[in-house]
Amino acid sequence: MSAAVQATRLERRFKGGILAVAGVDLEVADGEVYGFLGPNGAGKSTTVRMLTTLLRPTGGSAAVAGHDVVSAASAVRRSIGVALQDASIDPYMTGRELLHLQATLHGISRRDVKPRATALLEQVGLSDAGDRRVGTYSGGMRRRLDLALALVHRPTVLFLDEPTTGLDPTSRLALWDEVRRLNGEGTTVFLTTQYLEEADQLADRVGIIDDGRIVAEGTPGALKAEVGDPTLSVTLTEPADADAALVALSAYESSVPTKAGCIALRLPRGSEEVAAVIRILDGADIGVSGLDLSMPSLDDVFVEKTGRRLEGEGEGEEAPLVAEPS
Amino acid sequence: MTTETLAPDDRAGWLGSLCQPARETLALSRRAVLGTIRLPQAWVPSIFFPLVLMAIFSGSFGQAPGNIPGFPEVASFLDFAVAGAVIQGILIGGTTAGSAFAIDIERGFFDRLVASPARRGSIVAGRVMGSVALGVVGALLFIGIAAIFGARVAGGFAGILLVLLMAGILAAAVGGLGIYLALRSGSSEAVQGTFPLFFALLFFSSAFFPRETMDGWFRVVADLNPISYLAEGMRAPIVDGLDWPTILIGIAIAIGLAVISLAAAAVAFRRRLGAG
Amino acid sequence: MSARPLSVSAGLAWRSLLLVRRMPSVFLPSLVMPLFILVATAGAFRGIALLPIFDGASYLAFTIPLATVMGGGFAGINAGMTLARDIEGGFVDRLVASPAPRIALLGGPFLAACARSLFTTTVILVAGLIGGVALPGPVDAAVIYLMAAAFSVATAAWAMGVALQTRSVQSIPLMQVVVFLSVFLSVAYVPREAQQGWLRAAADINPVTRLLETSRTAELTGTTWASLWPGLAAAAILVVVLGAFALLGLRTLGRR
Repeated sequence: MSAAVQATRLERRFKGGILAVAGVDLEVADGEVYGFLGPNGAGKSTTVRMLTTLLRPTGGSAAVAGHDVVSAASAVRRSIGVALQDASIDPYMTGRELLHLQATLHGISRRDVKPRATALLEQVGLSDAGDRRVGTYSGGMRRRLDLALALVHRPTVLFLDEPTTGLDPTSRLALWDEVRRLNGEGTTVFLTTQYLEEADQLADRVGIIDDGRIVAEGTPGALKAEVGDPTLSVTLTEPADADAALVALSAYESSVPTKAGCIALRLPRGSEEVAAVIRILDGADIGVSGLDLSMPSLDDVFVEKTGRRLEGEGEGEEAPLVAEPS
Repeated sequence: MTTETLAPDDRAGWLGSLCQPARETLALSRRAVLGTIRLPQAWVPSIFFPLVLMAIFSGSFGQAPGNIPGFPEVASFLDFAVAGAVIQGILIGGTTAGSAFAIDIERGFFDRLVASPARRGSIVAGRVMGSVALGVVGALLFIGIAAIFGARVAGGFAGILLVLLMAGILAAAVGGLGIYLALRSGSSEAVQGTFPLFFALLFFSSAFFPRETMDGWFRVVADLNPISYLAEGMRAPIVDGLDWPTILIGIAIAIGLAVISLAAAAVAFRRRLGAG
Repeated sequence: MSARPLSVSAGLAWRSLLLVRRMPSVFLPSLVMPLFILVATAGAFRGIALLPIFDGASYLAFTIPLATVMGGGFAGINAGMTLARDIEGGFVDRLVASPAPRIALLGGPFLAACARSLFTTTVILVAGLIGGVALPGPVDAAVIYLMAAAFSVATAAWAMGVALQTRSVQSIPLMQVVVFLSVFLSVAYVPREAQQGWLRAAADINPVTRLLETSRTAELTGTTWASLWPGLAAAAILVVVLGAFALLGLRTLGRR
């Protein structure tokens, strides 16, 4: 398979010497959905801007759809569709007018412009709203129009920058479906997002960038497996049974009870072991009042690779400064 | 690849490659014009303030022609004031165009344009053509309104065309200036904060009152101010008729300003893409 | 324990003057604009003073009252702009929720606007002196300062009333345009006798005309009782009517 996106030691140094992107190597296969994650300021959007020809690299090289982003920038621009985060959509224009404009900018022939706009409005579910001014659209409608604008010229590679940030869950699901459908038709999707669940749901492969470098790359499943096993925490009916339960479950690696009457176990073979644990406890006549199975998430991957959380929070939990004297 | 790219295939031959930049420019200037006329706050100031000032000046200085030594011979002060209003309207329009361009940069529409195959020249030309169209329509409006209140264009139809021509070139110059400021600052507030300096230049010229009646250092500034010659060139067809030397100097100044500001905008465009 | 209106007003006035020092970009325009008006008007339209009706007066001297009154206007607009920002920023809500009397919300900015207009007027008079216009005598100077200060309070009341009614910085252009028009539809450039048509009619009924004329007589020929009382009356009317508008606006606080 050929590569839809390929970057080799891609680098960008800004005035003042700040190295925003410090040698990124990545490869996205044709037809893939690639999830690109990173904390704010990690070099994520600088990388995307270079791949979409908005910014010239200061080192390394990159090719998109087989064209070099510097020497063949206009060929790249003809092959890519770009829906950038918070991209402005003129509130005083109608959706259809904006599609006509975008189609004209892409050199689509005069007789194709109108049918193409109508088809795209239909495709993203904006047929009824197409002739209303964008100022009256909801957030979800704007994102769908934004997507339609990126699709005007049937791009082979689609760059989506945080396509669902700020959307309600229903609109988010609808947009995900549309992305899956486009991918099903063969479009390669380069997706940056701050929602790890989004990457988990959509991406075939995920790359995590931190401090200008790719720190982890792989399928979501492989990355999660790297971080650790699923954990089962069991709440016992009688907190006093905790010691007995640990003895009965000595086959499993268990962690120190976090709460009184609560034990946590690692399940190397995954969730199918839950039943076995229950049977053992039942056999030892220990009552169970609650179960909580937690799978390692991309969040855990992210924390492990970057030492930070992605969504909002600060630099992790604060450790107590001094231990209480006992 | 399973989807074929919708090829811009009917751009056949050299005619087609000439045609596409024109289509892009037209489509973008249409957006610039719609963005002005659909938003009252974008066009009302550029009509309202020059009209009010023109009215106040002609109400205040009506006795000036004929009574003040050195005041040029004009039929009425209103005739004299029209050119100043046209220039002022274009300057206000330029503020709007420049800050609209800066808003495109702030909000990402500019990125969308740059990431599309549209030519760099079309992006600037589209905005400038929008300014030119609005500037010419504004000039026609000021002449029309002044005519209702008794103003006359001595140069007749040809005179009106000359005023519109100068208004169009000046609008291109001012639009280029707005784009330059937007590209350099990337901030609509910075554009709006800088333009008042150019209004100041307007007052230190003969846009509102004749140079012949000024004296001292103010006269020196007005003599050196290119806007003086522009205003006099635009005023000549209205008050004197086809006074070619004055008109041609005005046109030359307008073209010079347009060349400088558009070249500056082109350089700023390249720098912005290079530096990100 | 309830705070006294006067001390709260003083505190708010102090805050507003502090803003001047800390955020010069907010204050500078209200100083630079009147200076610009003085220099540009006196320079560009100097020739109009050759009309016999000016009786040989210097056009720079004729323009000084326009600049000082306009300086008061800018100080007043500034009070409204600050209040609109404070309403959007939540400062006003905090104040309304405190035991401070609401009237202090207006009193502080009035004091600050007056202080600014006194400062601007001084700068304008000094600029005139540099341009060759002798300083007025103490009584005439007092009249010039008083007219500017009265206009600053009147415009502050107008602008703050608008800020309270609209609760939005979007209304700032409305504050500005009305103040500009009120000045330029009076006797900004020539005496009323030289005005023509509808501008003369507008100037006749515009109270700002009286403020400017009173200030101008003080600057050019010296104050007489006959020149003073129309300005005082106009100032009183403006301050009372617009002050009532601002007080009416105060009543909207806490209701919306």
